[in-house]
Amino acid sequence: MTLHLDDDELVSCVACGLCLPHCPTYRVTGEESASPRGRIAAMRAVQWSGAPLEGDFTRFMDLCVQCRACEAVCPSSVPFGHLMEGARETLASDTRYQPGWRRAGYRVLGRHRLLLTASTALAVGQRLRLVPRRFGLPRLALRRRPLVATGNDVWLFTGCVMDAWMRETHAAVMRVLAAAGAGVALPGPGAACCGALHEHAGLVEDAQRLARRVIGAFPGEAPVLVDSAGCGAALKGYGRLLGTPDAAEFSRRVMDVHEWLAARVDALPVPARRFPQLVAVQDPCHLRHVQKAHAHVRTVLGRYADLVELDDEGLCCGAGGAYAALHPDMAADIRARKVAAIARTGAVVVASANPGCAMHLAVAGLDVRHPLEIVDEVIRDGR
Amino acid sequence: MPDALVADLRAALAPERVLAEPLELTLYARDAGIIEGHAHVVCFPLTTGEVQACVRIARAHGRPFTPRGSGTGLAGGAVPVEDPVVIVTTKMDRILEVDEEDRVAWVEPGVLNLDLTHSVAHLGLHYAPDPSSQQSCTVGGNVATNSGGPHCLLYGVTSAHVLAIEVVLADGSVALLGGVDAEPAGYDLRGAFVGSEGTMGIATRIAVRLTPTPPAVRTLLLDFLSVEGAAATVTGIIAAGIVPAALEMMDAEITRAVEDFVHAGFPRDAAAVLLVEVDGLPAGVEAAAQVVADVGRVHGARSTRVAADEAERALLWKGRKSAFGAIARIAPNYYLHDAVVPRTRLVEVLSRVYEIAARHRLVMMNVFHAGDGNLHPLIVFDRRENGVMERVTAAGEEIITACVEAGGVLSGEHGIGLEKRDYMPLIFGEADLDAQARLRHAFDPDGVANPTKVLPAGSRCGDLQRVPEGAWI
Amino acid sequence: MSGGAINDGALATFAEEVGADGPVACVGGRTQWSVGGAVEAGTREVRAPAGIAEYEPAEMVVRCGAGTTVADLDAALGEKSQCVALPAWDGATVGGVLAVGRSGIRRLGYGPVRDTLLEARYVSAEGRLVKAGGPVVKNVSGFDLCRLLVGSLGTLGLLAQVVLRCRPVPAVSRWFAGELDPFELRLRLHRPTSILWDGTTTWLLLEGHPDDVAAQAAFARAPEVDGPPPLPTGGRRSVRPSELRALTGRFVAEVGVGIVHTAEAQPPAALSPGAVELNRRIKHEFDPSGRLNPGRSVLA
Ligand SMILES: Cc1cc2nc3c(=O)[nH]c(=O)nc-3n(C[C@H](O)[C@H](O)[C@@H](O)COP(=O)(O)OP(=O)(O)OC[C@H]3O[C@@H](n4cnc5c(N)ncnc54)[C@H](O)[C@@H]3O)c2cc1C
Ligand SMILES: Cc1cc2nc3c(=O)[nH]c(=O)nc-3n(C[C@H](O)[C@H](O)[C@H](O)COP(=O)(O)OP(=O)(O)OC[C@H]3O[C@@H](n4cnc5c(N)ncnc54)[C@H](O)[C@@H]3O)c2cc1C
Ligand code: SF4
Ligand code: SF4
Repeated sequence: MTLHLDDDELVSCVACGLCLPHCPTYRVTGEESASPRGRIAAMRAVQWSGAPLEGDFTRFMDLCVQCRACEAVCPSSVPFGHLMEGARETLASDTRYQPGWRRAGYRVLGRHRLLLTASTALAVGQRLRLVPRRFGLPRLALRRRPLVATGNDVWLFTGCVMDAWMRETHAAVMRVLAAAGAGVALPGPGAACCGALHEHAGLVEDAQRLARRVIGAFPGEAPVLVDSAGCGAALKGYGRLLGTPDAAEFSRRVMDVHEWLAARVDALPVPARRFPQLVAVQDPCHLRHVQKAHAHVRTVLGRYADLVELDDEGLCCGAGGAYAALHPDMAADIRARKVAAIARTGAVVVASANPGCAMHLAVAGLDVRHPLEIVDEVIRDGR
Repeated sequence: MPDALVADLRAALAPERVLAEPLELTLYARDAGIIEGHAHVVCFPLTTGEVQACVRIARAHGRPFTPRGSGTGLAGGAVPVEDPVVIVTTKMDRILEVDEEDRVAWVEPGVLNLDLTHSVAHLGLHYAPDPSSQQSCTVGGNVATNSGGPHCLLYGVTSAHVLAIEVVLADGSVALLGGVDAEPAGYDLRGAFVGSEGTMGIATRIAVRLTPTPPAVRTLLLDFLSVEGAAATVTGIIAAGIVPAALEMMDAEITRAVEDFVHAGFPRDAAAVLLVEVDGLPAGVEAAAQVVADVGRVHGARSTRVAADEAERALLWKGRKSAFGAIARIAPNYYLHDAVVPRTRLVEVLSRVYEIAARHRLVMMNVFHAGDGNLHPLIVFDRRENGVMERVTAAGEEIITACVEAGGVLSGEHGIGLEKRDYMPLIFGEADLDAQARLRHAFDPDGVANPTKVLPAGSRCGDLQRVPEGAWI
Repeated sequence: MSGGAINDGALATFAEEVGADGPVACVGGRTQWSVGGAVEAGTREVRAPAGIAEYEPAEMVVRCGAGTTVADLDAALGEKSQCVALPAWDGATVGGVLAVGRSGIRRLGYGPVRDTLLEARYVSAEGRLVKAGGPVVKNVSGFDLCRLLVGSLGTLGLLAQVVLRCRPVPAVSRWFAGELDPFELRLRLHRPTSILWDGTTTWLLLEGHPDDVAAQAAFARAPEVDGPPPLPTGGRRSVRPSELRALTGRFVAEVGVGIVHTAEAQPPAALSPGAVELNRRIKHEFDPSGRLNPGRSVLA
């Protein structure tokens, strides 16, 4: 039995435990099996000592949120994200880790028209109170106004769920970009889904297929801006996922929208009045730990609102892409810590640059907005 | 098919808080050191009563028990030997009481050191012992190993900050050691328990002293062209009657590695740097900082940089505290030593330590608590290289011997555990070890609390301890 | 400076003197002879060796005989502007102070006596010389017998030689007194060395850099005085620091520490049954025949 992991990567963990407090599932359980160090030890047990894949090992891997906080704090630079994706890839191909219904669910994400239809059906279901609240869905719109391209200085990646469920956020982002003087181009249907969830689930081939489609949907040299931290991290990782020069070149063009705006913050209008409420900044894991672009949110948003930091050093909120749907109890326990950290700041409005986090936190009753929605509101109020 | 011991534990705690599957047990085979053992079963009590139940059930089935916190220990203290019941405190992580006036906090053993400090920061207080692992290690583990950290030079190690400990003893009974008043009656049982590495029972509630945050702080970075100059400065500062809050030294190799990692402006061409922090009231701090700079200049400091603000101070400390991060760039594995020598012999011992590493063809760096003579020679290597472990072990032994010959001791903060147990006779004679065994015996007459740790077999005259059968690497 | 007045030979002689049988008690300055109860009649008295064995000022530790008086030790250390954090009552010996384990009125600033002892060589009930701890300022090699010995009243072993942590003598050291709120001072001042309170008057000891002392004194708004008040010597009680607020009657209290000095004797502090049993077992392990300081008990 082997996991097909790189031994060099697997050997690099020295078991110091410095990652433990940054791991959301360890924070909730206090158990090694739910920690980065324990997960690596389990991978070693499989790869080096022939422990079985099925059963406990699968359970330990599946409980990981893939927030990659452990990777960011690891003094030995253990590439945890890559190890976990590799382990899941083996699980998906060699075991029944991803049963048919889960695979089918992920496939819908890549088929945008189907997703939109399904979303409308869900929205109707919500009106009829057929969708339980604990599913954690936002209140979906029955009709979505189409986005209209405004130029071709930059691309905006629109994605799958976000476009279907939170298109208003894209609209706000486009208005802010326009205020900074940038014309925004919109991709064709090829850019339907970044494939991050597939990659996290170990469905690497699906992820690669989607990646190739996405790359094809953004011709030219213009920067590809992303307003969802999870998608942005995935797009920036295409070079590694596909291993081709084209993909690497594409990844170099990808920027989080705040990253792009931060470099041009002086081009943004000076606010007539600042946002009236204190804003707590929640750092999406894939912005902070993977893209390391969380400071840019503060540069941009700080121009328009008074910000307050959380004291939890960027601990994950538990959303984790599909995680909240697959592990609702754990996700809720993780979220409880985040909610408490937000409560300690005294702020009532929370800014989150990732739609998954925003939805997940909103279920706990918080007023969560995309940072650029707040910026948009201030700019529009000033007119 | 779970055995009767596991079944009893599950009945007493809750099934999901008792682990016995092979893969689950593998994850508890070691701490952050390099020795591996084997756990029979792992349990997670939530209360003192449940800890008592774990101990009693273990005993009823003739098994020893091993306490465990976060498993960041480096001496193998939490490594399960003799197939014990591993009792993990990580789910006992509540801060029970914070008394602002008396500056005392009661905590459960699984509270993380840095969490405690964060939770009282708004009161202008902190928990002073600050091991480099403070983000991860538990207060219970700190108590059991008597942990230290950079700022323990002025403020004292864990023992100086623990007032009272509720302990579940090896027979399952509970005793309160020490007290939150100044002079609890009887022998200092609290003092005896601190540093006992789980061999005298399990701490289930701990009262710690909280320290007010000083009104003024100065952080200085001194840069030297010779290790001797830096070491002489250390002695000179102490001799000048200054007790800095922290006095840390980094040698050339580690300074370069750290600089490449954090870009804090550490001089890449220095032979050694000193990171010195003085705190207290403004005038005293100013004067002490001046003395530090003067002493440094006398001993050839090339430059003295004073942190201008809190951000710069944080950056300098980040450099010191990410030393481990930096070394990962050089080789994947490290072996971190821990010994203390008289501060006046630092120069001599350091040169011996470098000589030993060179002779064994090992890469060695030094980043350590110079102010109290606490050396941390750090050997970096790649475990997969043939025969490297033998060289690492041999060098380690010579380093320890060199420190002891200079009048030093085996460990300043990591403890003895399994790692250094067999070196104990280097510094203690038969009568000395016998006395320690008696203390242990008073707490745990049958030797069931974390057996085989700290004292070498046969420490008790005429009472041979069982020899460990644990798997070793 | 290296005294050499006490060497290994002196330790061996002391051990021989203590021997392996018959009741024996160690005498220091006899200033606290009654603490822990009277020694049984017929007990042989011995005295620990005196003198400084080793003192390296740059090391800030000193090795001396347990029979050395604190005053002699401080005089020697004072030449290098150092001292030890042990209360220096007339005639009191280092061994006696450690055996009694009571800290002085500077505990708030200096910490308790138990944090001062780094290494101890003592004579066990079997008459053997035993080493505990080590001669360096930081040490976790093995169990902490030093802390066990501090405050053990000579009932576990008789101290022959010790290594102590030294401290720099502060630049200035000034007492102030007035009708001030001692609890407020304790919260507002940064690490004062001592705050004493008799229910009306507060005495404050400030040490360190002259400017800091002046600034803190100005904040406290108290005039300078010659020194601390005389302490009632009849009894001594230890409470949680905040409980001092509720004190009545005649007393001098160490604010922030929780020690109360009274004229009348105080009942011994209570101990949990579990701790009492541990005390008994420890005494039994170290001195099974009860020959060390017979009649004296840490629980009396
Ligand atoms: C008027 C007065 C008031 C005092 N008030 C205080 C006070 O408020 N706070 C305070 O801390 N101290 C106070 N002291 C006491 C003093 O400073 C020490 O605490 C005291 O114990 C000094 O020891 P000694 O040498 O006189 O010991 P002794 O009185 O001779 O002996 C005390 C105990 O220690 C044992 N002992 C002595 N030497 C050794 C040894 N080498 N090994 C093992 N056991 C030994 C003895 O057997 C005896 O049990 C006061 C003293 C006086 C005279
Ligand atoms: C990168 C790194 C840096 C470090 N830096 C420092 C440093 O600067 N200073 C320092 O002192 N140490 C340092 N350490 C060592 C380690 O972090 C400390 O020893 C720490 O106190 C261990 O705490 P833990 O909770 O991880 O305990 P564990 O490793 O789980 O256990 C340590 C010992 O304590 C016992 N134990 C744990 N909990 C209890 C309890 N409740 N009751 C009784 N016994 C118990 C165990 O049986 C074991 O013997 C470092 C370690 C690492 C990996
Ligand atoms: S993953 Fe990194 S931080 Fe975590 S235990 Fe391993 S080496 Fe340490
Ligand atoms: S990726 Fe996140 S959840 Fe997974 S082990 Fe690392 S820190 Fe824990």
